[in-house]
Amino acid sequence: MYISEYMTKDPLKINPDLTISQAREILDSKHFRHLPVVDDNGRLLGIITDRDIRSAYPSSLAPDEERKRTLEQTTITPVGSIMSRVLSTLSPDATLDDALLFFRKHIVGAIPITDKENKLVGIFSIRDMIKAYSNIFGLGEKGSQLIAVEDDLDKKNIMSLIVRVLESNNISFTRIMRTGSRIYIRAQSYNIKSIKAALESEGLNLIERKVDV
Amino acid sequence: MSDFYKINIVTHDIYRLHDTSGDKYHPEKPGRITSVVEHLKKGMLSTNLNFIEANCPEREWILKIHNNNYLLRFEEACLAGKEYLAHPDNRISYNSFEAAFYSCGSGLTSIDYVEKQTDGVFFCLSRPPGHHSETSLALGFCFINNVAVAAKYWQEKYNRERIFVLDFDAHHGNGIQASFEEDPSVFYASIHEHPTFSFPGTGYADDNGSGKGIGATLNIPLKPGSGDKQVLEIMDTTIYDALERFKPDAIIVAAGFDAHIDDDMSGLAFSTRLYGEIGMRLFVMAKKFCDGRIISILEGGYNINALCNSIETYLAGISIKTGE
Repeated sequence: MYISEYMTKDPLKINPDLTISQAREILDSKHFRHLPVVDDNGRLLGIITDRDIRSAYPSSLAPDEERKRTLEQTTITPVGSIMSRVLSTLSPDATLDDALLFFRKHIVGAIPITDKENKLVGIFSIRDMIKAYSNIFGLGEKGSQLIAVEDDLDKKNIMSLIVRVLESNNISFTRIMRTGSRIYIRAQSYNIKSIKAALESEGLNLIERKVDV
Repeated sequence: MSDFYKINIVTHDIYRLHDTSGDKYHPEKPGRITSVVEHLKKGMLSTNLNFIEANCPEREWILKIHNNNYLLRFEEACLAGKEYLAHPDNRISYNSFEAAFYSCGSGLTSIDYVEKQTDGVFFCLSRPPGHHSETSLALGFCFINNVAVAAKYWQEKYNRERIFVLDFDAHHGNGIQASFEEDPSVFYASIHEHPTFSFPGTGYADDNGSGKGIGATLNIPLKPGSGDKQVLEIMDTTIYDALERFKPDAIIVAAGFDAHIDDDMSGLAFSTRLYGEIGMRLFVMAKKFCDGRIISILEGGYNINALCNSIETYLAGISIKTGE
């Protein structure tokens, strides 16, 4: 659940003296959307995004003279002057929940990850976040199905009961989630009849999906 | 004069020797075939039936889809008396390897007959099913991908270049999709229960093929509880349009009946009648788009009563004379 498992480690970074047009070349050639900007000691100064770069370039509707002037500017202006100064970062031992809250609070597409000395050690993008959660929820994992069991507050230790039933019947599973009145099991089996028989023999009730529209 | 065309049922006695009874709850059991045969012989289509014995396919055809080491492993496991292959779902017995070959053979035998201009429709009443198995993977009661091998066979033996596969089993046919994901010459269309809930957890609408095969995979996941209304609309619009665009030379139907409302292997709620409606539409579409070249191969369907009635209704639909 730590972002260090999913972030891009030791990402490509640039110096603030690089010009806007050089930074654009890097973003374009690598298909990146964010470039962290660091000082000579690797300490994070800011971040430059493809959006910042686009804003620095002339509008296609601008008169020729103005376009020429603005284009020239991009070849001499350092990125340091247009980058966003980073005020918030996360550390590598932040969790995915920390990252989720960060994305909710700040309107950004990537989070720089820094150590205690503010040295850049990674970058964690929304794309990494999607990958992490897909992984956690087993999205597209072949060979499984979701079984819903009625939660029963009168039944003591229902979660451990479910685990025991599954394990003693050799039914492999990867996730159990308790949400409201249901407990969802991601079972690695096609044989619902065996799963049903095992759970029902312990007084657990499966929720039929057919009536679940 | 009969109201139905001849119905050729391609099957084999050896299917009953693929024994899964070591797990008393195992739903993929020999009775699936024997009960359907008995039911059909007693039913409204009895005088139209023609039983054909499936041939054993040459190994070279199976190797078009599967890896030889996998086949060796599968055979070895059966002969050594192992209980399952790769996962307890995939129960095996001494004769399972041979049964799986003949199960695959039912499709190839049907194709031979179709190409000999034999009268009537063709239904492969075979097991074990195939659509979950991949190159080197047994999954979800499947060992050899009967439909995928049949598609290759039709292409390479009879030069039918463009094959359209329609899979209406309740579960996504990951194995068929994987076989032709990058192949624009085989179109895979699947109607199944949404992968968030259902086995095998693949077949999101977003998956539409890869590389050169982009656009030749069409996944249509249905919410649990979906039934006739949704499916008929999909058949009449999405599937019809896909066929019209793809212009197939032949159609293979991965015919699974576990989306039936009485079948607890899925959360879908298809009626028996729906299978007849699907059959009628497929007959018309096959005639229109590929000169009537169509075969159907059994996949799932585990509630025996529902399976018998659904297959019978499907066969009635696909073979009914519409008075042209």
